[in-house]
Amino acid sequence: MLFKKVSFYLAIGGILGTVWLVQELRKTPPRPEPAQQPARSPYSNAVAATGIIEAARENVKIGAPKGGLIQKICVQIGSQVKAGEPMLKLDERETWAQLQTMSAQVEAMRASLQSEKVLAADAADQFKRTDNLEKQNVASVDERTRKHFSLQSMEARVAKIEADIKAAEAQVGLAQTNLEILTIRAPRDGTVLQLNVREGEYAGLTPTEPLMILGDTEHLQIRADVDEQNAPLVVANQPAVAFLKGDTQNPIPLRFVRIEPFVVPKRSLTGDSAERVDPRVLQIIFELDRPTTPLYVGQQMDVFIQRPASAAVAKNP
Amino acid sequence: MYRLALRMLLGDRAKYVMLVGGLTFASLLMTQQCAVFFGLLSWTTSHMRNMRASIWVVDPKVEQINEVKPMRDTDVNRVRTVTGVAYAVPLYTGIIQARIADGSFKPIEMVGLDATTLVGRPPRILSGRLEDLRLPNTVMIDELAVQRLSLNKNRPLRIGDTFEINDREARVIGICRTDRHFFGYPYVFTTYDEAMQFAPRTRKMLSIVLAEPAPGWSAAQTARQIEKETQLKAYTEAEFERSTIKWFFLNTGIPASFGTTILLGFIVGMAISGQTFYSFVLENLKHLGALKAMGASNGLLARMLLLQAMTVGMIGYGLGVGLTVLFGIAVLKKGQPPFLMPYQLPLFTLVVILLICAFAALLGIRKIYKLEPAVVFRG
Repeated sequence: MLFKKVSFYLAIGGILGTVWLVQELRKTPPRPEPAQQPARSPYSNAVAATGIIEAARENVKIGAPKGGLIQKICVQIGSQVKAGEPMLKLDERETWAQLQTMSAQVEAMRASLQSEKVLAADAADQFKRTDNLEKQNVASVDERTRKHFSLQSMEARVAKIEADIKAAEAQVGLAQTNLEILTIRAPRDGTVLQLNVREGEYAGLTPTEPLMILGDTEHLQIRADVDEQNAPLVVANQPAVAFLKGDTQNPIPLRFVRIEPFVVPKRSLTGDSAERVDPRVLQIIFELDRPTTPLYVGQQMDVFIQRPASAAVAKNP
Repeated sequence: MYRLALRMLLGDRAKYVMLVGGLTFASLLMTQQCAVFFGLLSWTTSHMRNMRASIWVVDPKVEQINEVKPMRDTDVNRVRTVTGVAYAVPLYTGIIQARIADGSFKPIEMVGLDATTLVGRPPRILSGRLEDLRLPNTVMIDELAVQRLSLNKNRPLRIGDTFEINDREARVIGICRTDRHFFGYPYVFTTYDEAMQFAPRTRKMLSIVLAEPAPGWSAAQTARQIEKETQLKAYTEAEFERSTIKWFFLNTGIPASFGTTILLGFIVGMAISGQTFYSFVLENLKHLGALKAMGASNGLLARMLLLQAMTVGMIGYGLGVGLTVLFGIAVLKKGQPPFLMPYQLPLFTLVVILLICAFAALLGIRKIYKLEPAVVFRG
């Protein structure tokens, strides 16, 4: 008679429904695998660091000797330059005009020197003759003395103008130097890594970013930042590997070069010069051979530096 | 005799409905309120199901997942340095305002995943590819965000659409399904580096470091090792979940308010069914007396009453949990209010309902033991 009741079947249904819902709710999706295998340390004990690739002899940030409009840029991004090769020319019209003026002045002075020399020669000649006449008692002593003074005055004028010419020539030299300075030349051999200005732009003395960056891309090195709290774990001459961001399967072996003796506030993690956090970092320099995969200066890397077991803070449990 | 007992029970339809109704109500109240309570508790740890990792490393003072204190960027490398860590990646979480084209703004939970590995990514992706997050200014949003950030209902947000986060354009590259945030904010996933651009700048930006134990290490061992070497706090998934729930128990009124409701359900259920069953026994006293007069032992009569009580108990329970399931199905489709039914919950309700029935039967049995068979003849 219980089996005739609707409530009996509803109750059975309710219990079955509960079992089903509990099963449904227990179904949780499995933990997704990483989209790409993360960089893993190949050593059992390691110090992790963030590295940035730079040219072996540090990158040169080219600056301008004085502010000015950029007239000509002689290189392109990636150009190979030799030391002394012009890279950039600032506006030189004003300095050029100054040079012209100075040179013209020198020319004018030379011309007047010529006329003064003629006058001096005339004075010398007159004095010589008056001297002879005075010896023969034809001319008076007074006249001879006047001619003598006149000759001395002329000689002094010639000397003054000669000195003036020297000064003006020095001015020309200055203008020439100023003109030279406006051409910025490569301080050493290298490749132009970055070019931040265009012709017609103003090159300031304290730009927010360097005009261009010159570096040697043949020989690369890695500057690895280790948090100062991990600094005691770093031991010199330990092997290390680096992984490119986005390529965590190809470790690049590194060779220890040196530990920078000066601990600096961290800069390289985001590359942003206005980095907000300022933990201090110990920097370690490694050199590397170029792998087959392309490497670019400024790329970030995950670096793992082996640490000897004795430097381990704690042993395996 | 037992058939007779059932006939006695089912014969009086009104009484039967009253009895079953009381127990149905009691079990519905307890199961449903508990389920909502568990659901709410599960919302507090929804971060941990939307971003999965074995070990969560946070600031030493962090007790629960919804409140994290940022750490320094280099702390990722400090965790990586710890022996027993296979890998560690940074994670950003934070609540930011999003603005949609009509100018209205909605708070969102922004999650920044490590760009290379995308560790902590949502497990269920409905459309799009998470790898596209590596494109600039891209985000993956959840279904709630589609609802909240769409301009109108007829034109839901699709892949390729844009909205604004903190004055920067964000392009949708995919839609995922997430467990609901405790504050009801939609999840928006992006890469860690992009999140740095979207989020307002603060001195420290790293919220959590997600880590995985090295082969041969358990998550708990590695977590302890991280704590020892870095002085940061490391939780395994289970530990963090427990800690978060403990925090809510200690710091909010949620458990107290739900506890009261559940207790009331228990008391009301017990009172109603106890009283109804007792009056049922009283009314049938004549028949029971007759049976006793005919020679039925007290033990047999007690077993008959117990059978009756357990029958109404089971039917009431079945109906009650059945209604809870219907409620649950409706609610889970909508997404709120919260609902979660672990297997312990229906078992717990079953035990409680059977206890109530046993209690009610006990009242009746006591009456029968005192019953004089002569009562039948008193008219």
